[in-house]
Amino acid sequence: MEDNEKKPQQKQAVRGKHVKKDFNHMKRKNVEHGFAVISLMVMIPVFFGISLFLFVFPRSTVSNIEKRKLATFPEFSFEDYFSGKFTADIATYYDDTVPFRDDFKTAGYNFKGLFGIHTEEEVKVVGKPIAVVNKDKDESSKPSEASKPEQQTSANAADPGKPQESETASEAASQTESSSGEVQTFDGEYTVENGIIVVKEEGHYRALELFGGGTGNAYVNALNNINKDLGGKVQVYSMIAPLASEYYTPTSYSEYTASQKECFDSIASRLDDGIISVDIDTPLGQHVTEDIYLRTDHHWTPLGAYYAAQTFASAAKVDFKDLSTYKKEEIPDFVGTMYAFTGDANIKNDPEVFTYYKPDNVDSTRAYYYDTAFNYEGDGNFFNGVGDPSSAYLVFMGGDEQIVKVKTNVKNGKRLMIVKDSYGNAIPGYLFGAYEEIYVADMRYFQPNLIDFVQQNKVNDLLFAMVVYSAVGGNADNLETLRTQNKGQTIVDAAP
Amino acid sequence: MVFSSLYFLYLFLAVVFVAYYVCRTLPQKNVVLIIASLVFYAWGEPVWVVMLVFSALLNWLCALGIGKYREKTLGKVFVGAAIGIDLLLLIIFKYSGFIVENINALLHIGIPVPQIVMPIGISFFTFQAISYIMDCYWETVEPQKKFHKFLLYLSLFPQLVAGPIVRYSVIENEIDNRKITALDISEGAMRAIIGVSKKVIIANNLYAVVDQFFGSDISNLSFLGTWYTVILYSLYVYFDFSGYSDIAIGLGRMFGFHFNENFNYPFICKSISEFWQRWHISLSSFFRDYLFYMPIFGRPRKYLNLFLVWFCTGMWHGASWNFIIWGLYFGVFIFIETLIGKKRMKKWNIVLTHIYSKIIIIIGFGIFYFTDFGQLGHFFLNISGISMLTNGNAFGDILIWNSLLNNIWLIIFAIAVSMPIVPKLKHFFFEWGNNTVYAVGKVGATVICCALLIISSILLVDNTNNPFLYFRF
Repeated sequence: MEDNEKKPQQKQAVRGKHVKKDFNHMKRKNVEHGFAVISLMVMIPVFFGISLFLFVFPRSTVSNIEKRKLATFPEFSFEDYFSGKFTADIATYYDDTVPFRDDFKTAGYNFKGLFGIHTEEEVKVVGKPIAVVNKDKDESSKPSEASKPEQQTSANAADPGKPQESETASEAASQTESSSGEVQTFDGEYTVENGIIVVKEEGHYRALELFGGGTGNAYVNALNNINKDLGGKVQVYSMIAPLASEYYTPTSYSEYTASQKECFDSIASRLDDGIISVDIDTPLGQHVTEDIYLRTDHHWTPLGAYYAAQTFASAAKVDFKDLSTYKKEEIPDFVGTMYAFTGDANIKNDPEVFTYYKPDNVDSTRAYYYDTAFNYEGDGNFFNGVGDPSSAYLVFMGGDEQIVKVKTNVKNGKRLMIVKDSYGNAIPGYLFGAYEEIYVADMRYFQPNLIDFVQQNKVNDLLFAMVVYSAVGGNADNLETLRTQNKGQTIVDAAP
Repeated sequence: MVFSSLYFLYLFLAVVFVAYYVCRTLPQKNVVLIIASLVFYAWGEPVWVVMLVFSALLNWLCALGIGKYREKTLGKVFVGAAIGIDLLLLIIFKYSGFIVENINALLHIGIPVPQIVMPIGISFFTFQAISYIMDCYWETVEPQKKFHKFLLYLSLFPQLVAGPIVRYSVIENEIDNRKITALDISEGAMRAIIGVSKKVIIANNLYAVVDQFFGSDISNLSFLGTWYTVILYSLYVYFDFSGYSDIAIGLGRMFGFHFNENFNYPFICKSISEFWQRWHISLSSFFRDYLFYMPIFGRPRKYLNLFLVWFCTGMWHGASWNFIIWGLYFGVFIFIETLIGKKRMKKWNIVLTHIYSKIIIIIGFGIFYFTDFGQLGHFFLNISGISMLTNGNAFGDILIWNSLLNNIWLIIFAIAVSMPIVPKLKHFFFEWGNNTVYAVGKVGATVICCALLIISSILLVDNTNNPFLYFRF
């Protein structure tokens, strides 16, 4: 009996031994087949899982990182189809509007951060810096000519170092959305043409656009012509803001950024005597230990703009209130445009506080908003709320495009017009106590004739306030256009 | 449609894959592949897809004619007609602008330069058609009786627009008789994922560095900067093109086709001749078989044919003189190596042969990069150090050091995987080891491939447009 009972156990043991042994003695082809099936059982769900995810989940429509609307599904036309544009645009739409695009983009930047060694004094270079110091500086070394709205918000502008640039993405990308849309778009004047360096200082990252230099001939000629047209009846001011690289570039990279002070002095020397050049390079330089430039954005801080406005007020001999009289507002977790420009995850992971200042008479002011052709659209506040912290710079007027008139409670009959790029957006609030009316117009969008506008609105002071890249770059060409376009039209202000 | 795009991978390929495996019979599967291939081509070339079909029809008919009249003069007429029209189309679409520009420059005349947009992949499918015609004439293969089967061969989308140049003999049998195993699909998928990763993770990021230094005027670029950038460019071209070939071979295998290898770790070569046995193998073997051994100059003249081959190799890469110089540059070194002889070269110090071959190859890629002769001149002055003396260029500069630090792991990884490490690992896990080792290798490979696919897909989100370099050929 015992023997009989043992037999099945022995058999099992023998079979078990065989099974164990069999794995290593199974025909190799069977093993290969078996593991190929297992491998496919893993890979196929991963592949089709991603396919389904991309197909089923809601598509992104806006990129907050890249500050642009994403591509839309193209409309069919035979012309587009036969040129290949229609099909290319469908592919672009699909690739551009990936669900959770910004999150994946951030994950991609984080992965790319693993490519290098990170040191305490690390500097990351983005774009193509060219040594500009001790080299001949001329217009050819100046940054991109891109300036018009349709050229400003392309995917490529935010994606340095691509193998090929996407025309279709550029075409698909759209321009500034209104303040309610909370999309802060890139300004055309800010490109990575001479590169960006990301430096680490005192534990924080700061992105710096290097300055390629330039003569600013178009700027000088346009302002001189405008001054002549105004016949001395309006005081013209030129105030050009330096880039942060003027103050924060490490010595070892100084040869890659031209002196902006020299550029400003050169421009000032060529402006007509009647034009007052407001030098803000020097006063800003006296405050470099303060937060006068945003670390993660291409703009200055409202504090930097305060020192600029103070210098202007002094030159214009108008009242100017001390910063202590302003109400300080803060928007935490601000990560600006430099994140998308550089693709550097360190910028994303090192947000800053966006601090701005409301004047004490802000409740007694009213901002009137017009479209770019000066058609009245509605009134509201000069300072707007922003939903997404990354769009904090939209707090001023909600963006660049609209023409804005601010009526203050000051009754001195003085009217100021500011022709600006986005740097100028932060200026008007500091002058609410100095002027009865302030007109704000962006040089890139303004459609009326500037001379007619200034004269018919009885403007006393005309301030050109913009960053150096606008003054020496393609944006400066717009200034002459402002002077010559739509001449002789009656400017009708439909605001109540 | 670009392989390294989310649209291709997760929409087009996913749909084709499902449709292909839903079909039970091989003829049905072939129909799926033909439709997919024509859609794939028409997506980028909605008009010139007609030319692809015309080219297929022409070569198919001529091959039938060759088969029928092989021993007669008419057979040769069919050969001449097919190859003549193939080359004529290639010349019109690819070289007419270049030819007219040069005639204008030479004769100081002003013939309007034709602005013809080259259909993508024309260089590849034209060469496939020529190889088919010649193989039919030499009776290496039988002319395909069915047009749709020949169309499948010529238009098969994995290799249609950027190679490899697949000979008809390679897939002749598989058109009608292929058995697709789980191993084929698994290995093919892994190969394709590796190809996508090569492109997206390595090549694209190497190019970002290259573009930083070579993307604008290089007249002031430092000596080390020029070397650094051209080395990275060489690696970039390798990963870009071999990545595409990997995807093509992988996709082919997923559909049951076994294409020949197109790259075999070219940077481990010890001579220029060996480099070209390892680099773009399908092109070099094409020229070897269909041009080098042809009695073009009355009878096979080794050296004349050699320079003709390298002239054509350069010319094939683009309608620009720098490509022709690039081809002839390699021709000169291969000529010199032929004169020295393989046996003598084998006796040379291995370190020296590696240094010699790498320097020649890397400088060659500089010629390949600069289509502008002014910049090419600066490249030579910089890389030789002459511009340090004549233009005061620096020996090195902080940007290079900075770039190296910021990309050091990427560069080390790229250099490492350009060496045959993967085949050694594959040999260890899948051939040398027992089943347990095989299992570990297979599971590991599966996990790595899934990770690479996910990482590549994430990186692709940041690449709205991302074509391969060899698309322009």
